[in-house]
Amino acid sequence: MTNKPQTIGGLIANAFVVTLSVLWLVPLAFTILVSVRPEREPITNGNIFFDCIDNPVDAATANTTTILGCTFTLQNYQDALQVAPWLTHYANSLIFVIGTLVVQLVTVTMAGYAFARMQFAGRNLLLFLILLQLMIPTGVLIVQNFVIVRNLGLFDTQVALMLPYWGSAFGTLLMRQAFREIPYELEEAARIDGANWLQIMRSVYIPLSVPTYIAFALVSVSSHWNEFLWPFIVTRSDQVRPLTVALNKLLKTTEVGALYGQLMAGTILVIAPLVILFMLFQRRFIESFASSGIK
Amino acid sequence: MEASAQTTASSNRVKSPTIYRKPLAARLFPYFLVAPTLIFVLLFTLLPTIQSVTGSLYRAPLTVKQQPAFVGLQNYVDLFDSSKTTRPDISDSFPKILVNTLLFTFATVIVSVPLAFLCALLLNRKLKWLGLWRFSLFYPALLPVIGAASIWSFLYADNIGLTNTVLKSFGFAGVKWIGLPGMTLVSVIIVICWKQIGYYMIFYLAGLQSIPRDIYEAADLEGANTWQQIRYITLPLLNRTTLFILVVAVTGGFQTVEQLQALGQGGPNESSNLMLYYIFQKFAEPRNLGYVNAITVILLLMLMIFTVANFYFFEWRRIKDDQ
Repeated sequence: MTNKPQTIGGLIANAFVVTLSVLWLVPLAFTILVSVRPEREPITNGNIFFDCIDNPVDAATANTTTILGCTFTLQNYQDALQVAPWLTHYANSLIFVIGTLVVQLVTVTMAGYAFARMQFAGRNLLLFLILLQLMIPTGVLIVQNFVIVRNLGLFDTQVALMLPYWGSAFGTLLMRQAFREIPYELEEAARIDGANWLQIMRSVYIPLSVPTYIAFALVSVSSHWNEFLWPFIVTRSDQVRPLTVALNKLLKTTEVGALYGQLMAGTILVIAPLVILFMLFQRRFIESFASSGIK
Repeated sequence: MEASAQTTASSNRVKSPTIYRKPLAARLFPYFLVAPTLIFVLLFTLLPTIQSVTGSLYRAPLTVKQQPAFVGLQNYVDLFDSSKTTRPDISDSFPKILVNTLLFTFATVIVSVPLAFLCALLLNRKLKWLGLWRFSLFYPALLPVIGAASIWSFLYADNIGLTNTVLKSFGFAGVKWIGLPGMTLVSVIIVICWKQIGYYMIFYLAGLQSIPRDIYEAADLEGANTWQQIRYITLPLLNRTTLFILVVAVTGGFQTVEQLQALGQGGPNESSNLMLYYIFQKFAEPRNLGYVNAITVILLLMLMIFTVANFYFFEWRRIKDDQ
């Protein structure tokens, strides 16, 4: 299939996939464009962006630049920054994502090793209990989990955000698989040298499983960075709420006046970190996500 | 018992680390390793599941002093039959929302999965700037759903939105994308397809790359055309991938929330509402709790048809195989 000479069918196929890809970029391109255009202009013109080429606006005021008769400004970003304490929200998202990941790395390494290399009574039962997490879609259990977090006295705390994710069946399976592929002789050799369990993990298992850890970390970080519903339910104050919840607030405040420039500026602030990371490490991201599905 | 017998049997093969350790500490060590994961999973997966089932059997009291009353399966009956309910609005909307959820999920899957397969086929060839096309199809998958939804809330805006501007420039009338019964969910389906196709595509791409090239060379020699090769070689070999993607797509569709939050909020009159978003809207009122739990259980059961099948066919079999 790969090496066929170009036929009419092949050209149509190429045209189709290229058109689709370009279409898929349009929302991002327009988000960026709207975010740097003055709020009033596109709305009063009744046409979004091309109208200014026909009806140039002459006066470029302070903080704006004019290119081809279209005015560009960073005013929307300044306005969006007023709506919420974005720096706090950035920090909250970072704490949420990193705090979740660090604990996960410890728990999945421990459980992954036990299920990969140890024999103990009830092993299959315990593994099955953990794997219940793959069968029960916990995203549906927001109400019940909210009650549990509230009863633990953790409502509106950073810990409440992370707690449900500290045990990961997906990560346990992933590490179990990675550890099983490491030759047992390496562990034996380390033991003969007198290494204890921690030293064996540090010198044998962890260094040899770095690609798996990276894959797990990328999937974990990007899914929690993007999470909205759970943080929205278990937090109330700006001091702990992550970026996605702040974006929801911006969505509500801009809805009234149809302040789309401001909303798009805020959206860019939220999505930029992951999109830039993805541009830099495209291959790694795609491989990690692909391997998270079928092992 | 069986497992401990195994340990003794295997210890002379020096397979088990236990013989290097003090007996009791060594025997407890694996449980210590498993405990943190087990506790968090039980606390936030098994416990809430049980609570949703038990909670669905009780009805919230009418006054603060009363205890919740055990009503058996009455909450489930009420969801479909409003004659004895204390919350007529929920009984009136639920059947509609259930049907919405099923149709909506079916529509997102039937559009997005075949399109993802097609894109994977087309991008698994020699093409200029392949990385760019792959990037532009995949990047929406990395966006927060609420971010994607807010982008589309602008694209769908009545007078100045991009979609209507384009339609008008071709001489068509503008469409009211959000806010009318019927249209809102179609608009949300478009957003989900835009966001998910690239994500499903990378699983298909990984699957396609694992198919040995010589199968197609042999098929070429036999005179099979491209369509026949896709139908009789590619698709059957990607069965597992397709099943996995279907499960992801179905469970994702059933759990749609953020798009509704940004695009119409389930209205007007619950016509574009879906189950999880409805739970989210209703749970804060204590008197709804029995019903909210019942809806959660129904949603759980529908989803678990897919997740359990997926688990049984992929994960558990593989674990059994390599033990």
